[in-house]
Amino acid sequence: MRVTRRDFGRMAAAGVPTIGGWIAAPPQQRAARPAGGQNRSLVNGVQFGLQPFCYHDLAMTRENRPTLIKRLVENGMGMVELHATWCEPRFDGPGIADEAAREQLREWRLNPPAGYYAAIKKEFDAAGISIFTYYVNLNDSHTDAEVEATFAAAKLLGARGCVGSQGLRLSKRLAAFPGKHGMFLGLHNHANLSDPDALNTEASFVTGLGYSPDVRATLDVRHFTAANGDCLGFLERHHARTSSVHLGDRRRNNGRSAPFGEGDAPIIELLRMIRDNQWPIVVLLEFEHGTLRTQVEEVRLMFDYCKRALA
Amino acid sequence: MRAALAPALLCALLAGGAVTAQSVARSDYDAAYLGAPLGDPVLQHAKETYVVFGCAYCHGLNLTPRGEAADLRRSVIVGRDENANLIGPLLRAGIPQTSKLSPMPQFSDLSEQQIADIARWIHYARQRARYEELTRAPLPSGDTTAGRAQFDQACGVCHSIQNDLAGIGGRYAADALRMHILEPQGLRGASSFRIDHLRDARINAGRDRHNALLENYSAAEIANLVAYLHSVR
Repeated sequence: MRVTRRDFGRMAAAGVPTIGGWIAAPPQQRAARPAGGQNRSLVNGVQFGLQPFCYHDLAMTRENRPTLIKRLVENGMGMVELHATWCEPRFDGPGIADEAAREQLREWRLNPPAGYYAAIKKEFDAAGISIFTYYVNLNDSHTDAEVEATFAAAKLLGARGCVGSQGLRLSKRLAAFPGKHGMFLGLHNHANLSDPDALNTEASFVTGLGYSPDVRATLDVRHFTAANGDCLGFLERHHARTSSVHLGDRRRNNGRSAPFGEGDAPIIELLRMIRDNQWPIVVLLEFEHGTLRTQVEEVRLMFDYCKRALA
Repeated sequence: MRAALAPALLCALLAGGAVTAQSVARSDYDAAYLGAPLGDPVLQHAKETYVVFGCAYCHGLNLTPRGEAADLRRSVIVGRDENANLIGPLLRAGIPQTSKLSPMPQFSDLSEQQIADIARWIHYARQRARYEELTRAPLPSGDTTAGRAQFDQACGVCHSIQNDLAGIGGRYAADALRMHILEPQGLRGASSFRIDHLRDARINAGRDRHNALLENYSAAEIANLVAYLHSVR
């Protein structure tokens, strides 16, 4: 049975107790939650946060960071996965060669201004938001020193790990770094089944997780569903190595993104699974489906859907 | 989608087609991102369909791509598409085989009308982007001979320098001529749905033809056409 957001809201409002068993189950004990203290987006033991790529209309620049924080508070979020571009300066522009801009960024990363990342952490702390993970598009152009600097920056932000969508080959190289910083490397999957190096299936995750105990799965539920993966089975087997899920909805068979409840992702079941097993897996809301509403309003609707799933 | 379109339609009826952002200020329509509803409700619906099914997320609301998505302003497939005959099958199947991080999803569940609306917005947005790009750049000097050959091939079916365009080079400066070629004044405005006026059908056909050309002109081709027509005195 597939329940759309509208149906789900209607059922919850009417107090229907036993449809699919979703509404009736009593709240469970609190799951072990990440460090950072009481958090405004901790819902019945499940820690929520946002992947702010959701704010499609907001360019991910450090200049827009105050707006990002304002929106996160507006959406009731106490945790975030912060993309590096919200923090780092940009060196590209008219008349500047890509290579030159890249080199300037590397230099900056190796020698950031003193107190730079601590000041950013303060901005988020003041708003009651923990930075759970630092999302970085690491690639072959990153030197070892640059990777070290990236983990060091993430640590100063208070992040628990660095996450990226890099392939298996690069992940193998990167797996050696997080342990030195007491952090983890998060592997984020997409739905590209034609690339043997891509994170896309359970088997590819198993390979990646085997590189080091410091590697964790950042399971993107939308893409995993579109790649015909079994999200619930994945968590059952790999919950101990899963740091977070990117929660959104898509249809199977490389299908399109959809509003919560209109795709094939088992969102309600997955949330209940995390809650009932008290797994410390952070749920990061993310959406790519289209909407005519403001992005803040759309996130609010998604979060409401999740809260009803856990009521 | 319909919820946002309804006030736009009502206002269009009341105001004779002119719709203002103020008239549709609503919490469920993100005018800051989507822009004020368009005066033409057919286009507005096409735009909303394009957004609601997630196309704007990767390809951009006005076709400025985000991330690794294809630039539809430069796509050969879009340039050759007529009434979704190429875009439609591609949307239905998606592009599963790709070297990119994310394959393009398939949209097999969309209706024919929804596919047509998405294609309509892609073409419209591409035309606006091409118009802006071609009129913003200084007009380079063109080749009259090449312009004549192009005129014969692309324009000669409907126009003639002996009849409707006789002496046109003396009536317009080169820059103005370029703007008229790209977007003839007589073809501006929303499509007509009157069925009893041959003129409306001809204007619609002319608009479609000019828009199709606009999508695929290069700056050099326009310069050549302008050079040729400006020489017609």
